[in-house]
Amino acid sequence: MVLLAKMALGFGATVVLAGAYTFREGLLRVDVDETRGRGQHVHVWLPAAAIPMAMHFVPRGQMLRAGEQSAKFMPLVHAVAKELQKYPEADLVEVHDGPQYVHIRTHNGNLLIDAEEPGQTVHVSCPLATIDDVSRELAALAPAS
Amino acid sequence: MTTRTRPLFPVTAFLAAAFLYAPLGIQAQTSSTQSGTSAYGERWLHVRVISTNSRGETVRVNVPLELAEKVLPAIDHDRLHKGKVRIGGMDCDGVDVRTIFEAVRNSRDGEFVTVESKDQDVSVAKKDGQLLVHVHDKNKPKHSQVEVKVPMKVVEALLSGSKDELDIAAGLHALAGQGDVELVSVKDDENTIRVWLDSKNVTTD
Repeated sequence: MVLLAKMALGFGATVVLAGAYTFREGLLRVDVDETRGRGQHVHVWLPAAAIPMAMHFVPRGQMLRAGEQSAKFMPLVHAVAKELQKYPEADLVEVHDGPQYVHIRTHNGNLLIDAEEPGQTVHVSCPLATIDDVSRELAALAPAS
Repeated sequence: MTTRTRPLFPVTAFLAAAFLYAPLGIQAQTSSTQSGTSAYGERWLHVRVISTNSRGETVRVNVPLELAEKVLPAIDHDRLHKGKVRIGGMDCDGVDVRTIFEAVRNSRDGEFVTVESKDQDVSVAKKDGQLLVHVHDKNKPKHSQVEVKVPMKVVEALLSGSKDELDIAAGLHALAGQGDVELVSVKDDENTIRVWLDSKNVTTD
């Protein structure tokens, strides 16, 4: 019985630690809800720490192509993400235009984008540190100009 | 506590403490940054547009000057390159913007341009180290007023680059050294536009 309890505790502690490690950088969250037409709903929740890790499993050729295609704007994305980390709580842009609404802000070190229009809402949340990591890696893959 | 459960105590205590203190840490971080005033030395550029038309458009933009200053050199598009805008050959209705800036910089305080007509009044002046532009459009039902106030140090920083360019990054850096100032104010029958600088990270109307 004691042995079983110890095994359960070990397994539980491992799961907790693995979970804490995986989610230490927060979540990448994308929620898209359409209420018009066929009414598609997309909900993606990914541990942010897994994204830079997953990039190492993408074939080299694909990554080089991604780096090439994003070469023009990735240094800008990287610069913005790096600087925004200094402002973990900030309202950056808020636009109301009739029924349309866009809100871009940082909260707890995450970049949050909320966009609403009749029939569709989009919410994106991504840790700034993850954007920084990914953009840095993609910028490094860009061909030297 | 029994002898069987005693070995589990340190682990349970650690996990309990971790779960108890984690939300407190987040709460503390959140509450410390919720206030409107940002950390010492931070300067924020605010833009607010409010329309009273049927759509009721409102735009609020808050940008930390330091961020703008560091990000601007990363933009390489059209005339903007490394934080500088090329104005060589720029056609502003035949007006040489740079020459006007330089003339104003080297002159004493005073009103340089005064145009009074049936449609609008325009004045350009330099006062207390600031370049002031005032336009009063009389054509609209509710007369439109445009006020632009640019510190001369910012004008000088803008002109610090080579002859055919304006150094926007230097201008932003100079702007950061200014106190709270309202840079642009436009009021007409439908729109209110304000661009101002302060140390708050939220827009207070």
